[in-house]
Amino acid sequence: MRTALDTRALVRAGVILVVTALAFTLLAAFQSSGGRGEAPTVAVAEASTGFVPLTDAGLVTVAEATDTTTDDATTTTATTNRFLQNLVNGIAFGLLLALASVGLSLIYGTTGLSNFAHGEQVSLGAVLTYFLVSQAPVSLPLIPTQFTIGLPLLVGAVLAIALSAGTGWLQDKFLWSKLRKRRIGTTQQMIVSIGLSLALVNLLQWWIGGQKVRLSISIDTRHQYGPIQIGNQTLMSMGVAIACLLAVSAFLLYTRLGRATRAVSDNPSLAAASGIKVDGIIRLVWILATGLAAVGGILLALYEQGTSFDSGARLLLLMFAAVTLGGLGQPFGALVGSIVIGIVSEVSTMWLPPDLKFATALGILILVLLFRPQGILGRPERVG
Amino acid sequence: MDWAGLLTDAGREIFAPTTAAFALAAIGLNFHFGLTGLLNMGHAGFMLLGMYGYAITIREIEANGGELFGVHMAAGAEILLGVLVALVVSVLFGLLLGWPTLKLRGDYLAIVTIAAAEMVRFLGRSQSLVGLTGASTGIRGSDFKRPFESVSPFPDRLVTVGPFTLHGSQSTSWWLVVVAWTVVALASLLFWRLSRSPWGRVLKGIREDEDAVRSLGKNVYGYKMQALVIGGAIGALGGVLWSFGNSVAPDSMGRPTTFWIWTLLLLGGAATVFGPILGSVIFWTALLVVKGLAGGLIPETWLSSTELEPFALVLVGATLMALVIFRPQGVLGDRRELAINER
Repeated sequence: MRTALDTRALVRAGVILVVTALAFTLLAAFQSSGGRGEAPTVAVAEASTGFVPLTDAGLVTVAEATDTTTDDATTTTATTNRFLQNLVNGIAFGLLLALASVGLSLIYGTTGLSNFAHGEQVSLGAVLTYFLVSQAPVSLPLIPTQFTIGLPLLVGAVLAIALSAGTGWLQDKFLWSKLRKRRIGTTQQMIVSIGLSLALVNLLQWWIGGQKVRLSISIDTRHQYGPIQIGNQTLMSMGVAIACLLAVSAFLLYTRLGRATRAVSDNPSLAAASGIKVDGIIRLVWILATGLAAVGGILLALYEQGTSFDSGARLLLLMFAAVTLGGLGQPFGALVGSIVIGIVSEVSTMWLPPDLKFATALGILILVLLFRPQGILGRPERVG
Repeated sequence: MDWAGLLTDAGREIFAPTTAAFALAAIGLNFHFGLTGLLNMGHAGFMLLGMYGYAITIREIEANGGELFGVHMAAGAEILLGVLVALVVSVLFGLLLGWPTLKLRGDYLAIVTIAAAEMVRFLGRSQSLVGLTGASTGIRGSDFKRPFESVSPFPDRLVTVGPFTLHGSQSTSWWLVVVAWTVVALASLLFWRLSRSPWGRVLKGIREDEDAVRSLGKNVYGYKMQALVIGGAIGALGGVLWSFGNSVAPDSMGRPTTFWIWTLLLLGGAATVFGPILGSVIFWTALLVVKGLAGGLIPETWLSSTELEPFALVLVGATLMALVIFRPQGVLGDRRELAINER
């Protein structure tokens, strides 16, 4: 696949990133020199809106609320640069988002399906982990007994990822491959995935209820590195995310199966004609995508210190924004797009109220579709 | 298990204002999807904007002592102005939404409309607009219902007709039932008339083959925009009707609401005149009956009362999947007419 590492496309992506970063730095400098007097009121407003867990807009605000409180406590000793802090938060969030959106992009690339149920795969990973590791009694829907499994976090997480990947296999074997065989169009398949998403999100609510649950009860210790503060769990999450993304990139670029996947993504009929088993590749992509989504969900639950039945559903549109920004069906584009979305949504909280940060990301999605519908890394082609 | 009670509740759900409001919203979506083939996944955004447009206008006039620019307004004039604002806001939103998106392919349109509707909801529940929209608590019913309830010709007490008891004019009332179904009937008439007009035939042509219609010299973009705006305005009216029986709260008009409207439209039959009405009646009645039966027959230890709602909605999701796969034309539709095309 020539376009994935096309130097021109990469240069373009780099230019966009640098320009965005420059623009933000300039704005930040302007803000800090001009608006010193306003800073405390902003922090107060943030703290007052930050303590609303389980609201759609307040996705990362729990982490942020702790930020502002620590900020207040440490302002006399160490000053954290808010811009750099937000940038780091944004990169962390973007990396976690990338885990989910790379899978979404792979599915779109190989099957043409915009999978609206991908957010639920993210929640499923986190909820399964909670089910396996929780010390509190848990139960299954319709089964009236309560029990505790209480595995160690690492074992539970690996098992949950395996189970989630299994749901990807199941879905493709019993639903999506049948639909493809019946030649049901991708638009109908998209509406089917909407139905699946509606069913799954309510199933998860039925399973663990509406409250926010925590995977790990340990409190994240935060360290000061120069002008920024970062927690151990966040650092570990970022590390795992980078390792997974590197592994997926290596798989796509250097293995036979990965090359076959990119071939199917480029042109399924040509790939079939050259002897690639398209159905097998698509099944592999489903397993990979759902597994990655589960990893993203678990890491996100650790990063945000809690998860709920709709934590993934809230991310769905950000994933679509990331995937569209990078170019639909381009896995590396989804990676770049996720990090851009992560940074923009976190950094925008410096000027906009934090409960609007996802609205900002969605605004970018609409602007991108307006001016460059093929995305950053996509080839210019007619999409209308 | 109270069978008579369940039967009465199910009967009331058939003509309830909620059923009418969703039928009206589905008629709006029928203009988008049924006639033109537009995959509008943000219909709840239109409804929410309509609700805000009406409720905020009335609230401001009422807070001003019923006066606008020093002129005292009768209750009827207030209602007309509120509805007008709701329509104007939704038309503007439709134009703004259609401008960049109507040139895009089907699934792009779906993603952008859903994103736009979510943006409306995020803005509505944002603390920064609390003075206007009331943030996540929304606008209380008492702030905007008075003009509508004061023009009711029905008595101001509980009225029993057959087995059904509703209030004469307050909240979910007989007055609201009559008004809501009248509006639904008028919108259905409009749909019936327009879908059989030359204009409607062009829209159906766009649904079937956009390029063929373009090659006949028709302005496809303009026609799609007209369909989007008309359907959106009808959706906004549906939102206003819904808010009369409830309150204006942004989170009740999230993505699930859009998906319910899609389910009930596909259930009744897209591109048909009575499909949205039948779909809404079946959807809400079936939801109530399923919840009633599951609550009455499955023991509390297996399925507690808080789990009933998600349980019923799992079935809604499964219904949507099954409908699209096995019977995309729904109860009333014509399979040959409505193949969901790539666009």
